[in-house]
Amino acid sequence: MRGIFDQCLAGTGSIGSTISASGRAGEKIFTKDLCRFLNRVLVVKKSEVVGDRCLRLVDGFVKNLVEGNKKKKARPKEKEKDADGDVEMGEEEEEEEEIIDTSATRIVLRILKYVVGFLGSKERSVRYRTTQFLALLLVNSLPTFPFQSWKVALSIFRQLLADLTERLHDKEAIVRVQAAIGLVRLLDMGVTPASDAENSDDEEEPELVTILQEVMANDPSSDVRRTILHNMAATPTTLPYLLERSRDVDPATRRAVFNHLLPSIGDFRQLSIVMRERLLRYGLNDRDESVRKAARQMFNYKWIDDTEGDILEVLERLDITSEAIEGGPKYLALKGLWEHRKDVLNDIQFPDEFWDSLTPEGAFLARSFNDYCRNTSPQEAKNLDIDERMPEVTKLAQHLQRYLNKLVMLLREEDEDEAANVEFIVLQLLLIAQTMDYGDEIGRRRMFALMRECLSIVELSEPVTKLMVQGLRKLCTSESDFCLLILEAISAIQDSIIGEEEEEDIGDGEDSFHSARSEAREELDTITVTPIPQQVTRGEPTSKKQKIEPSKKRRRESDDEGEDADTMDFDGEEDEEAANLLKELTVNLRCLHIARCMLENVDGGLTSNAHLVTMLNGLVVPAVRSHDALVRERGLGCLGLCCLLDQTLAEENLVLFAHCFNKGHEKLQVEALQIISDLLLVHGSALFESDKRTIEQRHLYRMLAKATKMDGNEDVQATAVEVICKLMLGQVIKDEDLLKVLVTAYFDPATARNQSLRQTLSYFLPVFCHSAPANALMMANIAVTELHTLIVLRSSFDEGEDEDMVSLNTIAAHLVEWTDPRKTAPAAEKDWTTHAIVARDALERICV
Amino acid sequence: NAPVRVRKEKEAFEINFMDPAADPPAEVLQAPRTAHSIKLPKKDQISKSRNLLPDDKHFNSRQLIRLFLKPKSSIVRRKNVALAG
Repeated sequence: MRGIFDQCLAGTGSIGSTISASGRAGEKIFTKDLCRFLNRVLVVKKSEVVGDRCLRLVDGFVKNLVEGNKKKKARPKEKEKDADGDVEMGEEEEEEEEIIDTSATRIVLRILKYVVGFLGSKERSVRYRTTQFLALLLVNSLPTFPFQSWKVALSIFRQLLADLTERLHDKEAIVRVQAAIGLVRLLDMGVTPASDAENSDDEEEPELVTILQEVMANDPSSDVRRTILHNMAATPTTLPYLLERSRDVDPATRRAVFNHLLPSIGDFRQLSIVMRERLLRYGLNDRDESVRKAARQMFNYKWIDDTEGDILEVLERLDITSEAIEGGPKYLALKGLWEHRKDVLNDIQFPDEFWDSLTPEGAFLARSFNDYCRNTSPQEAKNLDIDERMPEVTKLAQHLQRYLNKLVMLLREEDEDEAANVEFIVLQLLLIAQTMDYGDEIGRRRMFALMRECLSIVELSEPVTKLMVQGLRKLCTSESDFCLLILEAISAIQDSIIGEEEEEDIGDGEDSFHSARSEAREELDTITVTPIPQQVTRGEPTSKKQKIEPSKKRRRESDDEGEDADTMDFDGEEDEEAANLLKELTVNLRCLHIARCMLENVDGGLTSNAHLVTMLNGLVVPAVRSHDALVRERGLGCLGLCCLLDQTLAEENLVLFAHCFNKGHEKLQVEALQIISDLLLVHGSALFESDKRTIEQRHLYRMLAKATKMDGNEDVQATAVEVICKLMLGQVIKDEDLLKVLVTAYFDPATARNQSLRQTLSYFLPVFCHSAPANALMMANIAVTELHTLIVLRSSFDEGEDEDMVSLNTIAAHLVEWTDPRKTAPAAEKDWTTHAIVARDALERICV
Repeated sequence: NAPVRVRKEKEAFEINFMDPAADPPAEVLQAPRTAHSIKLPKKDQISKSRNLLPDDKHFNSRQLIRLFLKPKSSIVRRKNVALAG
């Protein structure tokens, strides 16, 4: 036996009948000797491969014993072990057999019993080798071991279970990995802990499967988490935990979900829709390319093949109508499909019948295909025959018209579910229409007429309207024509209510837009909008539905805090009036929406475009002054867009937007910050220099700083930080104090949960500092005082409260890295000023 | 210009099975005095985040140069437009 072990050292050992032959001689002595040799192996460090070899040898021996023991009259197979002794293992059919307490099984149990005792050794090598050995046995030799057949065996296996569970929380990750492998096998074999007292459901001891699931989520070592992910069988219980690893912090573990787990569970249709959606969203947007690739493989091959190449069916198995207009997971998935499955790309056809009976999935597929073909390289596009495979403009307009008609009909019938489906189809067709070539005049006219007409259909939703306005911009030759067209449409919509309403008794700020049109050529100063502070509401925005609820009282009080509107009851006459008001409000909101969509597509000057001045005075200004919060907020959005087009208007209204921030509710605050940011980006700091300026620079800066500190208001905080970042990168803001504000926000534990804020800053700070020497210098100037600020901040926390704040060493390392002159582009020529400043300031702090 | 280090050939590791006296000392196989010293500290057994990534916001340079109100057009200073026109 010594000889065999010795050969094994050299990697040449083999066992077979040699060992079996020695068996009978006296199993006790034999086992004792074997265990003595095992001792010498179990102290070998992990790095020594001879240890692995010896353990595999013994494992092979045990396997022989177990299989030889079966009465199956087959010769003991000398199955080759996997070279790495790893876990891949074909299932061995378990045969019901009569089990005899033989010398073979006794030897196996003796070995197990002997080895289990070392699981708690104080030497990590011993614990590692022991768990490794047991894992090896459980994977290769023991899956068919009849542990339940007699008492001794059962109790030894239970001991194994208990002690391995203990090792699942070992200090050493390498031990935990092996323990996990062994435990998964025990789970598969069905070994359960002894129930000490009969029938007392010991609630305190969680089940093995629960323990493994928790370790898979909580273990600090990704190797341990991934090992369990790799080995644990997917069942309805474990699957959610296994799939959760698709967001693991470790890329290899995330990848394993797509490469290993998902192929192993068979048809993707077994997953729930929510799971499928999540897998696509997480996988295709992963930060690691190897994970994205694995997710694409899953979709392009596994999922598509599961349905025998029927892409439409794959889409039907997803929640297609939930897909956003841009950048959704299904869009990404199809984009990847066109990129990597040229066979599918080249084969797909959209015949006439297809367009006649579109489904949401079909429309989405066609749009995605169309987008890919229109955006791919010219060389590839040449071979794709996109113009042949997609309908020509006239045809497309016909299809669009048919589905629009259907949509309007469904909306009038209030068939919401079906309307949602058809609306999704219409959106896809409109998106296709945006990419078409309108060289064909007849087709162009047809599409143009269709979109113009539909603009005034009040039932159509805002996303539909928005795409139609975008489409019309493409169809119009000039910006001026486009504006005129849209304004005509708006006034047509307004006319539709003027005819019905006699009592147009509104304040002078609210002339109907129609009448204001005659003043189109007024001077620029008429577009001045006086700020109207008292009308900006505080508090939460009420939901749209509530707001639209008719309230006569609200109108009369010229105040919209009409919460009591709900409780009011109307008599018949009031009902009618209320209905009219509701209609007026709806129409007004729709006009403002169309105006906004138009403004988003306009780039020229404001004053040079008479139509725009008209709209500003007739529609936007009255809206900004409206008593209805919803109308007013939409008006502010439009006004912001107008200000982008005209510097003077921007100068005059900057204070109004600042006011909205100070007094508005959360959503309005975010919008106000965004408007201010855009105005400063477009017009630059000139807004503070003019005589007409309405707000001082320092006031605005103070407001931005305050916004970053509004804890509990994450959107506002994140927006404020993004705004400062943008303006600093755009060289509009050059302010050390605001830079300090950003650095503080980055490390302050109060923002730890605000992922938008943190991720913006972790992108911005290095980019800002390394993109220009002047920026790095600014950071150098504040580095040491800022470090001091953060030290003070940190010391203000009690023990344990600061766990969301990185160590001061880390903070200092970041500051040093941001001010590293070697990293600044263009590379400073041996100019060490930035680090010199930091060093000087630090020395001053220490020495003075 | 670092001096070339001569890599030492690793000595082949051997387990001595032949020597009857080569048994490892019994104490290395024993349990430590307190079981705690070989266990993962309790606080490391629980991960608050379940070792999951936060929601990715995919912040990128495009976001920094595009306007909030007109996401499709990136920053163009009005003055520049005037000059170009």
